[in-house]
Amino acid sequence: MSPYIEASNFSMPFAQLMTAGIELAINRLLKLDEDSQQRLKKLSGKSLQVTIAELPWPLVFNFSEQVIVRTVSNADKDSAPAADSVDCLIELNLETLPKLKDSSQLTQLIQQKQLNLIGDVYVAQTFSNLLKEIDIDWEEQLSGYTGDVVAHQTFTSMRALFDTAKSQIEKGAIDLSERLTQSDSIAVKPNEVHEFSKGVNEIRSATERLFARVAQLEQRQKTATGSDN
Amino acid sequence: MSAPETPETHSQQQQTTHFGFKQVDTSQKVNMVKDVFQSVAAKYDVMNDLMSFGVHRLWKRYTIDCSGARTGHKVLDLAGGTGDLTAKFSRIVGETGQVILADINDAMLKVGRDKLRDRGIVGNVEYVQANAETLPFPDNSFDIITIAFGLRNVTDKDKALASMYRVLKPGGRLLVLEFSKPSNEMLNKAYDMYSFHLLPKIGQLVANDADSYQYLAESIRMHPEQEVLKTMMDEAGFEQTTYHNLTGGIVALHRGFKF
Ligand SMILES: C[S@@+](CC[C@H](N)C(=O)[O-])C[C@H]1O[C@@H](n2cnc3c(N)ncnc32)[C@H](O)[C@@H]1O
Repeated sequence: MSPYIEASNFSMPFAQLMTAGIELAINRLLKLDEDSQQRLKKLSGKSLQVTIAELPWPLVFNFSEQVIVRTVSNADKDSAPAADSVDCLIELNLETLPKLKDSSQLTQLIQQKQLNLIGDVYVAQTFSNLLKEIDIDWEEQLSGYTGDVVAHQTFTSMRALFDTAKSQIEKGAIDLSERLTQSDSIAVKPNEVHEFSKGVNEIRSATERLFARVAQLEQRQKTATGSDN
Repeated sequence: MSAPETPETHSQQQQTTHFGFKQVDTSQKVNMVKDVFQSVAAKYDVMNDLMSFGVHRLWKRYTIDCSGARTGHKVLDLAGGTGDLTAKFSRIVGETGQVILADINDAMLKVGRDKLRDRGIVGNVEYVQANAETLPFPDNSFDIITIAFGLRNVTDKDKALASMYRVLKPGGRLLVLEFSKPSNEMLNKAYDMYSFHLLPKIGQLVANDADSYQYLAESIRMHPEQEVLKTMMDEAGFEQTTYHNLTGGIVALHRGFKF
């Protein structure tokens, strides 16, 4: 049976919706990181096909100043050998996908038969590096909207908030995983509730500090621009 | 004066054809279609998104996915208008490939050319003003021909299909993306409501041009439905002809090969 998702009466192009989403996301990210454009050039004119076992459609990436993401139609999957229409073809399952982030692991994954690669390994490595090395200067992005000073201050406060939230979430996750491994501790203990609300409170006050900070900055900016006129 | 027609179309009736629901002189239709697109050219892209809720982008993606395009291919994007398909093909076929955006209407071609240049798509794209019925290319020129939302505007569709067949390379394929007949009666009714009542109103509001969008709705209704178009392609010589309904048959993608 074909894994092709399609209701006979009302077929929406789901595969195309997915590739459109991936394409938009990748190109947005690349656009935000100026240096990535330079790295993308190395791939210009190349193509890569990624077949993920759990997905009904293979993904094909074409590289130029942008990345085009498409799939191969079902009819073609049977008729044309895909391997010779792209520079590199990778087959893997969803579980292995995150491991691709480290391109130095590629050969090891191939040896362990977790990954099947046909063609030019350089294309796969470069693409993996490209995605990994995307480095977006969020502060710079934000300053486009708010002006430099506000951006810097907001960014610093946001990073603080983010760090607080992250450590709380990590802590929560550790607690949770510990609890899941100890089957006798299903009931929530009072000190756990206490810990949890303490965490929530910390996040809350960090958020409040951020809001206050932004309000303050806004005020300052208003006065500054006011005095300019 | 008799209109220059194909030999088999000799009856009196053939002197006229439909322009939307109107019967017009066969020789006039080309110019009337030209007027429609001349007037919508500037707003064409906005209207496309608006009228189809953006879904036309997915239909076009599906077309690309069925094209088998790869580096080095030579592609004809016929009735290519503002060049959505051309833009994608250009990036896929790369420097060693080529895309020709052909359209009968110079206003549409100009909007297309400006748009693609702005996006940095240059080098492997050529713009040619041409009528689909009499393509100005040598035999066996292209690996892929697409005609998206174009065929229904062509006066003599059989002649156009024959012309496409001629310029396609052996092993090449034709993809016809066009409005079609929804397979479900309910959807069909809703769709008729939409296209005959709402569409011209949107056209009036946004493009200040209700007539062109009235034509659009009527021309969709007059276009041969799935099976008929498939037979027409077979008769033009295409092989392994198939079609695939999209969004419940509001649109269908026909595909045929030349061997
Ligand atoms: C609805 S637009 C489609 C444009 C584009 N392919 C797209 O999908 O967005 C139809 C196009 O067909 C062109 N056209 C109409 N009759 C034609 C003919 N006989 N030969 C070539 N192009 C034609 C029009 O000028 C117009 O640009």
